[in-house]
Amino acid sequence: MVGPIYIIVIALGIAFTLGLLGKASKSAGWVFVLAGLAAMTFISAQWLVALLEGSIQGIQIFTAGYKPPYSISLQMGLEEAILTTLINSLGLLSLLYLGKEMVQKGVEILMVFMVFIMSMNVTIMTRDIFNLFVFLEIETIALSGLILLIGRKTAFQAGIKYLIISGIASGLLLIGIILAYSHVGTLDINGIASANNGLFRIAPIAGFLILISFIIELKPFPANGWGIDVYSASHPGIGALISGASATTGLYLLYKVLPVAGEEYLYFITLIGAITFIGSNLTGTAQSQPNRLLGYSSIGQVGLVTMILGLQPILGDRTLYLAFTIIISHYAAKAGLFWISGMVNSSSIKDWSILRKKPLLLVLFGAFILALIGFPPFPSFNGKWEILMKLGESNQYHWIAVILAGSFIEAIYLIKWLGYAIKLDEPVENQSNFHLTKQIPVWIMGLVLFGMGYYLNPFTHYAEAINYIPLLFALLLFAIDFLPVSIKNTITIAGLAYYFMLLWPAVEGDLLRQIFLVMFLGGGILTLLAGYSKKGKRPGFYSMAILMYAGLAGLLTAKGMYDFFFSWEVMTAGSYFLIIRGKRSLPHAYSYMLFSIGGAYLILGGFAIAAASLNGTSLSALSMVTVLPTWVYALIAVGFMTKTASLGLHIWLPGAHGEAESDVSPMVSAILLKAGVFGLLLLFISIGATNPHSQEIWYVLGWIGAITTLMGNMSAAFQEDAKRLLAYSSIAQLGYILFAFSMMTHIGWLAGFTYTINHFLFKAILFLIIGAIVVKLGTHNMYEMGGMIKKMPFSFIAVLISIIVIGGIPPLSGFAGKWLFYNAILEKGWYFQGALIFFAGIIAFLYLFKLIFSVFLGQVKDNHRNMKEISAWVLIPSYILIIGIMLFSAFPKDVLTPISEMIMPYFTSETLVWDGTKAMTSMGYWDGSTIMIVVGTAFMLLLGWLIVLSAKAQKVEQFNIVYAAERPFRPETTHVSHNIYAGYKKAIGFLVSPVITVFWDQASTFVLDFAGWIRRIYSGSIQNYAIHVIFYIVVFYLISLGGL
Amino acid sequence: MEQVIIITGILLIILGIFGIIRSRNLVKIVLAFTLFNTGLNILMISIGYIRNAGAPILSQIPGQGEIPNIVDPVPQALVLTAIVIGLGVTALMLAYVLKLYQDKGTLDINSFKDLKW
Repeated sequence: MVGPIYIIVIALGIAFTLGLLGKASKSAGWVFVLAGLAAMTFISAQWLVALLEGSIQGIQIFTAGYKPPYSISLQMGLEEAILTTLINSLGLLSLLYLGKEMVQKGVEILMVFMVFIMSMNVTIMTRDIFNLFVFLEIETIALSGLILLIGRKTAFQAGIKYLIISGIASGLLLIGIILAYSHVGTLDINGIASANNGLFRIAPIAGFLILISFIIELKPFPANGWGIDVYSASHPGIGALISGASATTGLYLLYKVLPVAGEEYLYFITLIGAITFIGSNLTGTAQSQPNRLLGYSSIGQVGLVTMILGLQPILGDRTLYLAFTIIISHYAAKAGLFWISGMVNSSSIKDWSILRKKPLLLVLFGAFILALIGFPPFPSFNGKWEILMKLGESNQYHWIAVILAGSFIEAIYLIKWLGYAIKLDEPVENQSNFHLTKQIPVWIMGLVLFGMGYYLNPFTHYAEAINYIPLLFALLLFAIDFLPVSIKNTITIAGLAYYFMLLWPAVEGDLLRQIFLVMFLGGGILTLLAGYSKKGKRPGFYSMAILMYAGLAGLLTAKGMYDFFFSWEVMTAGSYFLIIRGKRSLPHAYSYMLFSIGGAYLILGGFAIAAASLNGTSLSALSMVTVLPTWVYALIAVGFMTKTASLGLHIWLPGAHGEAESDVSPMVSAILLKAGVFGLLLLFISIGATNPHSQEIWYVLGWIGAITTLMGNMSAAFQEDAKRLLAYSSIAQLGYILFAFSMMTHIGWLAGFTYTINHFLFKAILFLIIGAIVVKLGTHNMYEMGGMIKKMPFSFIAVLISIIVIGGIPPLSGFAGKWLFYNAILEKGWYFQGALIFFAGIIAFLYLFKLIFSVFLGQVKDNHRNMKEISAWVLIPSYILIIGIMLFSAFPKDVLTPISEMIMPYFTSETLVWDGTKAMTSMGYWDGSTIMIVVGTAFMLLLGWLIVLSAKAQKVEQFNIVYAAERPFRPETTHVSHNIYAGYKKAIGFLVSPVITVFWDQASTFVLDFAGWIRRIYSGSIQNYAIHVIFYIVVFYLISLGGL
Repeated sequence: MEQVIIITGILLIILGIFGIIRSRNLVKIVLAFTLFNTGLNILMISIGYIRNAGAPILSQIPGQGEIPNIVDPVPQALVLTAIVIGLGVTALMLAYVLKLYQDKGTLDINSFKDLKW
């Protein structure tokens, strides 16, 4: 085992030897330093491995054999081994990344670089506070030197700000050290900490000064203008080091000196961390310069870790592990992002679209962004999960709110950035340089991120083991992305089919999950069939589709809240990448993602508060919530309602579904929305019908459902865009579903299930077919279509059948839904809401008629005369679904009876009674099978009659008519389908004026304006920043005196 | 006497900070910074001082003969180190000032506000 002192020996030795080497051999010097850093990494890594294995104990060494203060004591334990490994390896990779630029600058910069890395090693290992001060100063000097030697001109301004502010901070540290020394007579950190029992007068100010100087080094918001300047002006290669190594070191130092100050400061540290986490991210939202943005984000993340350190009394011995999960995510992600930023080399995040030329980097960019926000499978996800559960158990709800709010605000700008890279046009000019030696470090950081996520999962409390097979399958699909669509489509379908068979036994005997499994994976296979009609390679499509379906399936197999939330986030990420693929989807995918993340955090908050009831984190614990039950239920319900797009949370849906690719729309509409429904059902079952804490919730949800339905149907009726019409129709249908389940009666739930199954069937058909037609005709506008009935008869029949189901017209299954629905409403006594629903049902006919009239009836437009039927690959899944509709309509009993038995235990209310094929309630009866036979027979008779009659009919040309003494010659003049409901619009259009969209628009404008206003404090003046720092110190001293 | 030295140290620190905040000339800011450092050093020395004690220089081997009446050597050693570090930082600051001057041809602090928001 090589002693840790050799880390310092090697670094100093090399730094001095470089001086001797002189300027002659620049490249040799670089290789020399690289070898040195590799050796340093090796030393710390071997300690890490040995300590993890437990084959050795951590050691403490004293230089020259004396005790402190006459020698320096260095400690090498697990913490030190981890951190020095992180720092040395980052140094190694950074040097590789900086390669050529370093070599050109000469040996001086290599010396400074070596000293910089060494100083961080020593500050981590030393247990002597004065030694800590010395090497902190060396770190400052070395970093300033690096900025001076390899930076742009603006970096000089940043460098001097950094020097002055850290000069002030270290001056305070020095006063603190000498006061502490005069008090306890030792410079040993452990010695000071154990002697600081608070009996002596001088100790508090000494502790405060030591603490605050380390806090200032961490760049706390808002006294951090100088720090952000350093991030934004430094060379990105140096930025990676500051963010990955310096910040990590700084956090560990804060942890190390915390005992010196004493426990009374812990709350204060948490507060500082919280302010920084929220404030820095908030100001980041208004930023568009990549490096500066990364600076804001880094400081925000440091704030989060600071919070975690301050929460020690709650997190206990898990504190360091939890801090590590965030730090390692930040370390890998931020280093990777800074390096990519260096390669892209642009002053605007909009130019990152150049990354599309490097798919692997783009994927890693996405991974880094998601890791920062805290998505699975990255370590930060595990960390945040356990922190929130622990906070919930200790009833620390305000800190839960802070962490979730800060994470959400961070997502605002990170997701925007990701969207730009995926979607914006590639920049005209670019100075990017994707040299291989610059890419390799980024790849390694990507591996670190995924590897650590996998490695840390079993160590996380309240976490269950995760099935990584689907995620690996997604990775495999990415690896074979170069293959044509047909092969990848087949592999994906085969994968889903296999997964379906694999999961079926797992949900055996659980009808609820079986129904949703059929919808999720069965529906997935059917909608994927339509993919065969696509040409080209569809880069990335199949990996993301698999992610979404893996997430959906994971919801069904989840036993605990962790599994469930993990799957929920995987599904969210996958669906985001699917939705953003549409041509004009950028803003819609963005708002989808923000609503989803917001909703997910509400769910997470609900789960965390549920943990306060101390029943563990299995999903069944939701039924035993004793602490703040109404809050828990309301938070989780609202979270799920962001996915079901209920009124107020729906504004993302029309754009996201309307602009998505033709086969993505049915996936996200018919299938993905059901995830929200499934979540709500789980919640409702857990709560139980008679729970006294949730009666108001159901009442409110019922009203929301009813109003959502009405608004959705009205908006659909006034649409000209065919896909948006369907999207609004989805909102309305989900309103029905929410309403039905909120009634919490037996028949209400039967109605809910019928609507859910129906919506899955018909919305998949409609979006598949209308989507394909829209692509084929080259327009979304229905008034530019017409007369397609003869060109596309199979499409017409499929759409006709679907709208019969939506309209609730006998004999198809839509009527079954309606019949059950009105029975349930009457039984429940929700008459006002019922009236709204009834009214909405009438309006539904308006948009259904508009859809079939404008697209299929009327006159063929001139430019569509040569159109043919849409691809068979779209029709095949549609007709399979139609078979489903027919079976459900003819044999409703076979579906409804098992459901009825399943929900029997949950309700005491009236049930549906079957007499043969007749369904009966106290209100009346309905016989689906007989109606089917009667209507079917009548239909066949009429059809036969028509065929007989039409044998003698004469074919009429399109314009073989005379219209008001005028012979029309353009199809538009005889097929008026633009704004056909102008009259209704005049009468009730004000009801659908986009108040909610305006509300959310103004909310987002407000946030951005507010951020823009706050960041004015970063005036660029060194002196202002110095005043901020001094003011910050004074304010927090006063607060700490106040006895926090 | 010790009080006078402590007060001098504190005054120098305050003066230094005031100079950093108020001066417009970069060189003056660096000078103010050295004042700040000097104040710190004086403060440290005075905290380690023991009345009527001599300099911590041992003329005989400790443990033999009478115990010498000296001040605590540790603060003095610390100050020595701090002075060296202060020198390094000041030199680096001056290097920066030079670079900034070469860039814009002025030493006015207000002309270096390119980085903001």
